[in-house]
Amino acid sequence: MRKSITFYGLTLSLPMLVWQVLFFLAPLIFLVALSFWTVQNFRMVPDLNPDNWTRMLGRGVFWQAYFRTFLLSTSAAIVISVLAFPCAYAVAFKLSETARRWAIFLMVIPFFTSYLVRVYSWQIFLSDNGIINALLAKVGLGPFGMLNSVFGVMVGYATLSLPLVVLLQLFSLIFVDRTLIEAAHNLRCGRLRTVFEVVIPAAKVGLVIAALFCFILTFGDFVSPLYLGGGDPPTLSILITDTTKSGQQWPRAAVIALTMIATLLAVAFATVSFAYRERGR
Amino acid sequence: MIDQALVVFDGVVKRFGGFVAVEKLNLDIRQGEFLAIMGSSGCGKTTTLRMLAGLEAPTEGEIRLRGKRINDLPTWQRDTPMVWQSLALFPFLTVRENIEFSLRMRGVERSERRKRVDKWLERMQIGEFAERNVAHLSGGQRQRVALARSLVTEPQILLLDEPLSALDAHLKIRMQTVLSNLQRELGITFVYVTHSQSEAFSMADRVVIMSRGRIEQIGNPQDIYRAPRTRFVAEFLGSSNIFAGKVSNVSEAIVRISTPAGEFEVASNATRHLSKGDKATFVVSGDRVLLSNQPPADGLNRLQASVVGEEFVGATAVIHLEGAEHIEIKAQKSHDELERLNLEPGAKVWVSWRPDASHVLPGE
Repeated sequence: MRKSITFYGLTLSLPMLVWQVLFFLAPLIFLVALSFWTVQNFRMVPDLNPDNWTRMLGRGVFWQAYFRTFLLSTSAAIVISVLAFPCAYAVAFKLSETARRWAIFLMVIPFFTSYLVRVYSWQIFLSDNGIINALLAKVGLGPFGMLNSVFGVMVGYATLSLPLVVLLQLFSLIFVDRTLIEAAHNLRCGRLRTVFEVVIPAAKVGLVIAALFCFILTFGDFVSPLYLGGGDPPTLSILITDTTKSGQQWPRAAVIALTMIATLLAVAFATVSFAYRERGR
Repeated sequence: MIDQALVVFDGVVKRFGGFVAVEKLNLDIRQGEFLAIMGSSGCGKTTTLRMLAGLEAPTEGEIRLRGKRINDLPTWQRDTPMVWQSLALFPFLTVRENIEFSLRMRGVERSERRKRVDKWLERMQIGEFAERNVAHLSGGQRQRVALARSLVTEPQILLLDEPLSALDAHLKIRMQTVLSNLQRELGITFVYVTHSQSEAFSMADRVVIMSRGRIEQIGNPQDIYRAPRTRFVAEFLGSSNIFAGKVSNVSEAIVRISTPAGEFEVASNATRHLSKGDKATFVVSGDRVLLSNQPPADGLNRLQASVVGEEFVGATAVIHLEGAEHIEIKAQKSHDELERLNLEPGAKVWVSWRPDASHVLPGE
């Protein structure tokens, strides 16, 4: 049956539609157009020149940054999902109703503070003469170089996405049918094995979407790789700022941005279809 | 009889906080029987089943399986597979993978697994759906998958928690036949929890009727139907007329019981030992009640009542009547018989029954 679009339905969805067109579609089209412009004497000139694309995609630096960013975000999605799972599992299955409500409330609190502020405060903890190294020195360890390393970037990425990943995992775990778990136990599946055989497959959609969110958030993040990772070698977002600063190369930055958008769309599409893939016919 | 018991509930109590779900339960479940546990919701029947499955731990008492205490044995170490009301099939596995699950958990090797699953696929006539996703099956097919999944390990006992309640009437009857045949062919014990009298009585060898955490009566369906032990059972079965009163006279063959609706004779072979002045409650089942517009023949118990209404139950109808002191009376009659009577609402009719058609409740 064809769904008919009613007048009211259209009216109510109109603001959303206008918003999407004005602030997503139009800028995107502009970005595509921009990527074909040229820069002459530090001024952008509208053009239809594919030069930006061939130059950017032909550069080692770009691909280095691309794979570094992709790898960092993929690792973050995996590591943070694994770190988040025991927490989400405990809150979903082990806590009482009241305790669970408090836990959810506490997990919302990190969002009260700006991400940038939280990352700055990590610098105080992680730097060579920061809080953690000072404490470790007391027991005769260190100092460890935690700032300006992949470890630092991961700490930042966790700051950005861990609470959200836990919440998303939690909401998918809460809705796992408890009788499925009982049925698994009843069919001789022990406690730990049930987690892998039943709980994770049953909550798969939510768990995969949580990891996807982590990937998306960290892939475009500029703050953690710069302030905790040192920015060298650069990630794509750092490369964008560098490109715009050096010689007003906005068109080339547009090429990077478009590559990132294309990557995110492809990853999101592949991930969602993986999440919803069913066994059997 | 003791050595035949597969499962023994010995003084089992289950409390949830202050709520007593099961109170001092003593029950023997025999090897190879089809036992139905019946009662309304909250009577403790499902809790009893879950304790047997190891999904709840008894607060007090002991559950023994083949003479061995199993109170503290986790469910995954018992051999007590259960079929859930919701079936609890794994939606992320195919039909074959669902059935194979417990074999895989036991480490049965692949080729052997395949052989045993194939056998059950064929037995339950679901072979053509083996590679399907369980979400795409009909209710009856899912039911068969759930049964195969529980039975593939060839257990000695199968627990069923209202597995048919989600099916439509026609399919329900068909699955009842499937279950009865399966139980007979396998010769294993079925413990079947239900609130449906028709399911319990049509399939079970023995029926346990529970109310508020206690067993009201255990027996085969015929006995329970003809000779309910307590008022609760009589009311639960629904088709009985219940009269409570005092014994006014005892003679050799007849006990006279005086109730607010009148004085009635009860054949004494149907009674426990009663003496004058004892309290007694007796029932007359609805299909043994006679109705007439003329006064009935001598020797019958009788009272006058007015018609309240009529209720169609397939081939028969239940006439609801009201006697003196607002006593409710139900009579089950064929439509043919009803046509010969004047049963306008409000009409006065004679209600009568033979003294030996009544049954004194021994538990009251």
